[in-house]
Amino acid sequence: MGGEIKITLKVEQDWKDIVHRCFRCGYCKFTHEFLDINCPSYKKYKFETYSAGGRLWLIYSLISGELNWSDSIANVLYACPTCGNCTENCRFDKFNDFLVDFIEAARIEAVENGYCPEKQKALIERTTNPKNFNPYGEVNSNNQDLKEKYNLPDNAEWVYYIGCTSNYRQKNLRDATIRFLKKANINFTLIDEHCCCSPIIRTGQISPVKDFINYNIAQIQNSGAKKVITSCAGCYRTIKKDWLKFGIDYDFEVYHTIDLVKKFLDEGKINFKAEFNKRITYHDPCHLGRHMGVYEPPRDVLKKIPGVDLVEMKRNKENAWCCGAGGGVKIGYPEWSVEISGERLEEAKKTNASIVTSVCPFCRTNLSDANEKYNMDFEVIDIIEILDKLDYEIINIE
Amino acid sequence: MKNEEILQKLEKIVGKDYASNREEELFIYSQDPGASLPRPVDFVVMPSKAEEVQEIVKLANQEKIPIIPMGGGLTLSGLIIPIKGGIVIDMKRMNNIIEINEFSKYALIEAGVTTGQLLSFLSNNYPDLQPPVPDAPPSATVAGNVLIHGSGYLSQKYGDHANMINGLEVVLPNGDLCKLGSCAVSDYWFTRGPIPDLIGLFTSSFGTMGIVTKLSIQLFDRPNYREVVFGLMQDPENLPNILSELTKTGLAEDVLLGMQDKPDWMKGYVFIIAYVTGESQEEIDSHIKTFKRIYRKNEARYMKTPERIRSIYLEKPIFAAAAADYRKGGGFEYVGANLPLENIPTAYKRGAEISKKYGIVPTLGSRLIGGTHNIVMFFSYSFNRADPKDMENARNALHETNKLALELGGIPWKSELAGQQLILEKMDPNYKKLFKMIRTTLDPNRIMNPGNWEVK
Repeated sequence: MGGEIKITLKVEQDWKDIVHRCFRCGYCKFTHEFLDINCPSYKKYKFETYSAGGRLWLIYSLISGELNWSDSIANVLYACPTCGNCTENCRFDKFNDFLVDFIEAARIEAVENGYCPEKQKALIERTTNPKNFNPYGEVNSNNQDLKEKYNLPDNAEWVYYIGCTSNYRQKNLRDATIRFLKKANINFTLIDEHCCCSPIIRTGQISPVKDFINYNIAQIQNSGAKKVITSCAGCYRTIKKDWLKFGIDYDFEVYHTIDLVKKFLDEGKINFKAEFNKRITYHDPCHLGRHMGVYEPPRDVLKKIPGVDLVEMKRNKENAWCCGAGGGVKIGYPEWSVEISGERLEEAKKTNASIVTSVCPFCRTNLSDANEKYNMDFEVIDIIEILDKLDYEIINIE
Repeated sequence: MKNEEILQKLEKIVGKDYASNREEELFIYSQDPGASLPRPVDFVVMPSKAEEVQEIVKLANQEKIPIIPMGGGLTLSGLIIPIKGGIVIDMKRMNNIIEINEFSKYALIEAGVTTGQLLSFLSNNYPDLQPPVPDAPPSATVAGNVLIHGSGYLSQKYGDHANMINGLEVVLPNGDLCKLGSCAVSDYWFTRGPIPDLIGLFTSSFGTMGIVTKLSIQLFDRPNYREVVFGLMQDPENLPNILSELTKTGLAEDVLLGMQDKPDWMKGYVFIIAYVTGESQEEIDSHIKTFKRIYRKNEARYMKTPERIRSIYLEKPIFAAAAADYRKGGGFEYVGANLPLENIPTAYKRGAEISKKYGIVPTLGSRLIGGTHNIVMFFSYSFNRADPKDMENARNALHETNKLALELGGIPWKSELAGQQLILEKMDPNYKKLFKMIRTTLDPNRIMNPGNWEVK
């Protein structure tokens, strides 16, 4: 098995049997030590309905028949970036793991009952459009041009799974990743990838997901690769965790780019020839942090870049404030989504950092949008783009 | 006026985003985490300042529509669920910590400030000061807690939380904004008197007399060291003596009791959970030695506390809501009865009998309030929220427990409707007459959380 899943919740039934166990004590609304409200949705809408507990009670009311589906109720369930901050602070062990799963499961029900909001429907329409196969509605790239440009083989040990956001919106991040992999002498290729399905899974539109997973797995297998690396926190979480939930296993290993960078640094193989004298703060992507438990590797990498002054925002790691892009919020509630990122940048401002970095193209997009909208004057870039700016060599490569 | 017109007026007062009569809000605000049955709500609003509360009250008077103030909504006894429909006023947007006075030691805050927010704010900015912290989750509001005679850490030493109110700003039922306590005379919200004390009218009256928008709450010095000293005994009969001796030393910050059949290792014992404080570890060690001696003398045993248990009990607040998960059903409610100390042994025995009668694992606890002047006892009943019969079972157990508390000379705390009526049945007729007279004078239209404390 290539992915990892600790506890599974059967989407078909299990969640309906336990969702009523939420007491609505409200611990989930706060960060540790109650420093602040941690839930973007509750902070915005303020009605108890929009807390994690409020949502779970609404979901149970739909199961018990006390309420019926409506656009308005569906809106409450969709106005949540599924950041998982509630799962960190819910005090009910063995229940708290499932809070985001409950929301996603209820969204599947919303779709089945015809209550998926219109804006979010665009995600599945574009993703399943044979011209696109991505949620941005861009013409699908089979990545052949990139393979030619970078002289990549058809068959290789690794596949760089670019992800739709990097391939269609954050091309510099994509190219920086390719340059890093080339510099590291990694034997890799690209595939004619289709969306990993994160956006449609998050919004409950799961009908084509298995087909997409099978397609992507076949592409990876056809390349002969035994390892997949991605620069996208969303793809990483989806491939490593969600694909397995759909009952599909695979025989390759999955890495985030940051794993490989850290490995080379730990092995002393990266030889920096320049310093990067900047004060930097790191934003934890929800998909990598709370959803996959990866907090330290990006920090370890930043600390080893000469000249970097890494400073933490007040809410970090398990308590990190979400960028607001996930869970279908970016497409469903575009203004609010950027507001959430705006709050994150306000927090970053207090650190006196000039660079906000992350390892997720979706976070990068939304934080950049807020940076522009609020004239925050940060440089928002991915860690791999920081490396790309530097003069370094990778030595003793096997 | 039609509902849509009322909604428009409410939206005009608080802003469009903060007034709702959408089905989902009405559903969520029609119930609380306790065992009460849901009751319908007409509107939910979230004002941001006292002037908006005044406007809402004036509109409610004009339309003769009930209003129900809500803090964290965690009383569990349905006090924020309207009895006759109306407008639930969720106070959470009024969440400013206005002033911390380090010398007179008080916090002046708006009514929507949560206990978690104040605790965190003081820890980060005034580490030498501590607020009273209830056992409720951190989303409980300070105002909501003090106004129901809440109790918690420091209550043994300083009394219940209503006792710690220095002053209130209240919107009266006619819409007037009124200051009570020293703030009525001075710029300092430092004390309650010495003027006629009307603050009591607004405590445990469950929003029937007015809506508190601002309050001053006493703060206390934070000791350098704090420790929990566990004792256990098999027979609750000797509890009054041992508690008297513990409090007589003047060393205890807090004293709690616990008796529950689950987990198994707790069955058959009453646990004494005493907190001591000091300026040095030597002082703490000396206090522990004193308490050990008292335990021994009274046929109780000192229990060395495993680190896991110790950290649970030193946490503020204690995660009392864990009781909701005892039966994996998401619900619990308790009768918190204020009792005279001498009747505690009987209360433990008969409380356990009630639990067993209703097939619920006995889960009982107590907290001393103001030395041994008062002891609040918790008779807790977990239930499965997904099973209406189980919830009804819990309600029946609660009702029988209310009767027991009154029979033992006690008074149920923050009581739900049925309990309020039991209290009123026993109440001095002239107390009731006076209460009704004041209420009618203040609230002739009976808009303030009507149905609560209804003198028939």
